[in-house]
Amino acid sequence: MPDIAFAPDRIPAGGAFALLIAQDQPATDHFNAADAQTGGAIGRAMAAAGFNGKKGQTCVVLGATAAHPRIVLAGLGRDPTARAYEEAGAAAALALSREPAASLIAADPAYAAHAALGAVLRSYRFDRYRTKETADDKPQLATLHVLTSDPEAARAAFAPLAATRDGVFLSRDLASEPPNVLYPAELADRCRALSALGVEVEVLEPAALAEAGFGAILAVAQGSAREARVVVMQWRGAEGAPLALIGKGVTFDTGGISIKPAPNMEDMKWDMAGAAAVIGTMHTLAARKARVHVVGIVGLVENMPSGTAMRPGDVIRSLSGQTIEVQNTDAEGRLVLADLLWYAQDRFQPRASIDLATLTGAIIVALGHEHAGLFSNDDALATQLLAAGIASGEALWRMPLGEAYDKLIRSDIADMKNIGGRPGGSIIGAQFVQRFVRGPWAHLDIAGTAWATKDSPLAPKGATAFGVRLLNQLVAEHFEE
Amino acid sequence: MRVRFGARSKAPVRILPQGPGDTLPRRARVAGFTAAPGTAAVLVGHKRRRLLVALHEPEAAGALAIARLPGDSHVALDARALSPAATASVIAGMVLRAWRFDRLRTRPDPLGGVALERLDVLTAQPDATQAAWNALRPAIEGTLFARDLVSEPGNILTPHGFATRLARLEREGVQVEILDRAQLAAEGLGALLAVGSGSVHPPCLAVLRWPGAGTPDDRGDPAVLVGKGITFDTGGISIKPGPGMWDMRADMAGAAACVGAMLALALRRSPVGAVAVLALAENATGATSYRPGDVLHTYDGTTVEVVDTDAEGRLVLADALAWSVRNLRPRALVDLATLTGAIVTTLGHDRAGLFGTDDGLRDALLAAGDAVQEPLWPMPIAPKNALLSDVADLLQCTTGPRQPDAQLAATFLRHFVQDVPWAHLDIAGVEQRERGPWYDPDRHALGATGFGVRLLDRWLESLV
Repeated sequence: MPDIAFAPDRIPAGGAFALLIAQDQPATDHFNAADAQTGGAIGRAMAAAGFNGKKGQTCVVLGATAAHPRIVLAGLGRDPTARAYEEAGAAAALALSREPAASLIAADPAYAAHAALGAVLRSYRFDRYRTKETADDKPQLATLHVLTSDPEAARAAFAPLAATRDGVFLSRDLASEPPNVLYPAELADRCRALSALGVEVEVLEPAALAEAGFGAILAVAQGSAREARVVVMQWRGAEGAPLALIGKGVTFDTGGISIKPAPNMEDMKWDMAGAAAVIGTMHTLAARKARVHVVGIVGLVENMPSGTAMRPGDVIRSLSGQTIEVQNTDAEGRLVLADLLWYAQDRFQPRASIDLATLTGAIIVALGHEHAGLFSNDDALATQLLAAGIASGEALWRMPLGEAYDKLIRSDIADMKNIGGRPGGSIIGAQFVQRFVRGPWAHLDIAGTAWATKDSPLAPKGATAFGVRLLNQLVAEHFEE
Repeated sequence: MRVRFGARSKAPVRILPQGPGDTLPRRARVAGFTAAPGTAAVLVGHKRRRLLVALHEPEAAGALAIARLPGDSHVALDARALSPAATASVIAGMVLRAWRFDRLRTRPDPLGGVALERLDVLTAQPDATQAAWNALRPAIEGTLFARDLVSEPGNILTPHGFATRLARLEREGVQVEILDRAQLAAEGLGALLAVGSGSVHPPCLAVLRWPGAGTPDDRGDPAVLVGKGITFDTGGISIKPGPGMWDMRADMAGAAACVGAMLALALRRSPVGAVAVLALAENATGATSYRPGDVLHTYDGTTVEVVDTDAEGRLVLADALAWSVRNLRPRALVDLATLTGAIVTTLGHDRAGLFGTDDGLRDALLAAGDAVQEPLWPMPIAPKNALLSDVADLLQCTTGPRQPDAQLAATFLRHFVQDVPWAHLDIAGVEQRERGPWYDPDRHALGATGFGVRLLDRWLESLV
C-alpha cells in the first residue's frame, strides 16, 4: 500500500503521473499544461482510445516523452463527488502500481485527499502468507505524490481519511486471516492493540462469562478447543450515554453438530466480519479522536462439532434469563448477539445499539451483494443508517419486522427456538435478536456484503470491511458533538 | 351466500360483538370470558347458541366468529351496537373466512365443515348497513372468484379452461378477447409460445377490458394489469422435485388476481377503466418442450437465452408486458406473478415483494396494500449487467446457490416495460395458506387467498 505525500501541483518534469478527468471536460489548466509538455501526446492518446472521462474509464499513455514513461488518465464522470475522486484515484493507483514512485494531480485539496484515500484502499493486499512472491511480483508503488493547490489543506483533509484507511485495513486483515491463526483469544489480543490509541479494552474470559451468565455464547463455544472471549472496547471521546456497536465474531463456523456441507466452507473464516467491522470502526473513531462515546462489544467463539458441542434440542439459558431451544446449531450467530445485546444494554444503557453480523444465507437470496439488510425498531435510526449507507457507499436496504414473523420462533418447551424455517429466514433471525433488545436498535445482516468474489472500484476481491465507513459516517453525522 | 339485513332472525346461532365497555352476560363471566380483544366464547342455551366476540379489528372479529362456528350454515350477526361501516367490515371478514372450495366434493366434508349459506344481520340501520356492505362487496366477490380459480386443479383449469371461466366477467360487461396460439404466432409472442410448447393444452393471451365511464375520447390511457397464468407448472425440462409439486396448480394466481380485480371493477361499475392482460400457458414436460439453452425471440424483438425452463413466469410476462406497452399505451403497468422462490425466502408468507420503477406508483400500491391487509414490501432491482448472455440480448436468469432471483427477475422484466411507470408484485408465498406455523385459523381461510384483488381494486379506485 503506497504512502501518500502531498505536494504543490505542477506537472512533474519527469516520472509517471495521473490526471483525473471529468466527463467531456478535459481542458483543465493541468491537462493543458501536461498536454503541452508532452507535445500533444495526451490529447492524441485520448482521442485514439475514445477516452472522455466517463466514470470507470482509464487511459494509459505510454512513452509520451522520454521523461514520462507512463501517464494515466482516470475518468471522474459528470459532476464528480468525493466518491468519484476516490474511485478515479483507485483506478489511477492500479494503473501506476508497477512504478516505484508516481504522482497524482488533483487541484482541489479536499478532493485530492479523497483521491489519495481511494488510491490506498484499492492498493490493499493481504499477502502475509505468500512466501514465494519475488519483489517483482509485488506492486512497486511505494509513494504516491498527490499534487494539489494547497498541500497543507490536503494533508489536514487526509488526516481523518487516514484513520478510515487504517480502520478499513484492520477490518480487512482480520476477516482475511485464516481460522487456525485467528481464533477467539488471538482476535481478543488484536483488540487489545487498540489501547495504544486510547481505547479502553476489557477482555472477558470463560470464567467471567460463566459467572456473569453468558449462557448462549458459552453454549456456542463449548464444542471447540478454543475458548470464547467477549471484548469490550470503549472510546470516550465525549461524555454521556454511549452508542453501542455489537459484532458477531465466529472465528470459524463449521455449523457445529448441524454441520455445513463441505463446498465453500472455507468462507466461514469470515463469519467474524461483523466483529471485524466493529473493531475497525473503533480503530477509526479513536484514530481520528472522534468526539463521541462509543462502546464496541464483540463476541468471539468458534463453532465446532465435537463430543462437548451443543446439540440440536438443547435448551440454553441466555444472559437475559430467557431460555432458548437450539434446533439448529448452525444458527449460532443469533445466540452470540443475544447475550451481547443484553450485556450492552444492561451495563451501558446506550443511546442506541447497532449490531453487525454475517447472520443468514437468506439475506443473500433477498438482496444479493449490493445491499446489506437493515432491520430496526426505530424509524429515525433506520433513516440515519440508510442515508449513511448511501453517503459511504456501503448501501443498506430496509427489511420488515413483525408479529407474523416473531411467532415462527415460538418453542414448545422454551421461551423461543433459534430457527423458524426457510421462508423469511433473515427476518426471523432479526426477530430472534429483537427479543433481546431494549431501546433503539438496528441489526445489519452483512452476510452478502462482507466478502466480495470479484474486485470492486475501491477494493480487491476478498474482505470488504463493510460497515466501517458506514458506521464512521453515521457517527460523524449524528452522534458526534 | 345470502346476506339479509333486518331486526329479526331465526338463525340458530347469534354472534354478539362485545365492546370493552359493555356489560357481559352473567353466563359469559361464569365461563371465564373477559372480552379481551381477539377472543370469543360460545354460550350454549336451551334453544340456540350465542357466540360472543370481543371486538377488535372488525374484519378480524368477523373471521374469528366464523372460525368458531365451523358447522353452521345459517347464522345471525347481532350488529345493533355497531356502525354500518363496522358492520360491513365484520361481514367482509366473515365472508372471506367462510370461503371454502367444495365444488369437487361429491359427499360432505368428513371433517364436518360446511359452507355459510345464510347470514342475517340484525341492525338498527338496515338501509345504511346494506349500502356499506354493497360498497365492500364487489372486491370481496372478486377475491372469492380469484380463490376459486386458484383452487381449480390443473387438469380442469387448463389455459382454455381458464379462458372459459371469463364468461362470468362478460356477463358483467367486461369485454374479453382471446388471442389463440395461431394469433400468438402471427403476432410473434415467441416467449409465451415457447413456455406453452410442451403441453397439449395450447397457450393463449386473454385481454379483458373494462371501459369505465365517459366517452372513449375522455377516458385517456388505461391502467393495465398483467397476470402470470401458468395453469400448471411442472418446471418443464428443468422439472421440479415431486414433493409439493401439486401446489403448482396455483401458479396462475397472478392472473386470477387480475381477473378478480376486473370483476370487482365491473360489479361496482367503476368509472375508472382498466385492461387486464393474462398470459395463460401450461409449463409441461414433453417431447416438444422448450429447452435450457434455447434462444427465444420475444414479442419486442429481444432475444433471450433460456437457462432454466422452470423460470418460465418471467418469459410469459415479458411477452405480455411488451404486448401491453405496444398495444395499450398504458399510463401505468402493474404485473402480478407467483414468480420466485427467492421472494419466499426473503419475505416469508406474510408480505409480497414490490418492485418498480416509479416512486408514485410504488407508494400508491403500498398504501393500497396496507389498507386492505394485503401488505407489500419494497425491494430493489439488480443492475442489468447481471443478465448478460454469451449468445443473446438477455439472459433469462442466473444459476448457482443463493441467487437473488426475485431481484433478477425484476431486472429481466424491466427490460420489457421501457419507460412506462411499472410495478411488479411477486406474490409467491402469499397466494395460498397452508396448515403450519404461518397459518392462523382464527383469522384466515385455508387455501387460496385471492391476494391482490382487493389491493388492485383499492388502487384503481384511487385513480381519477
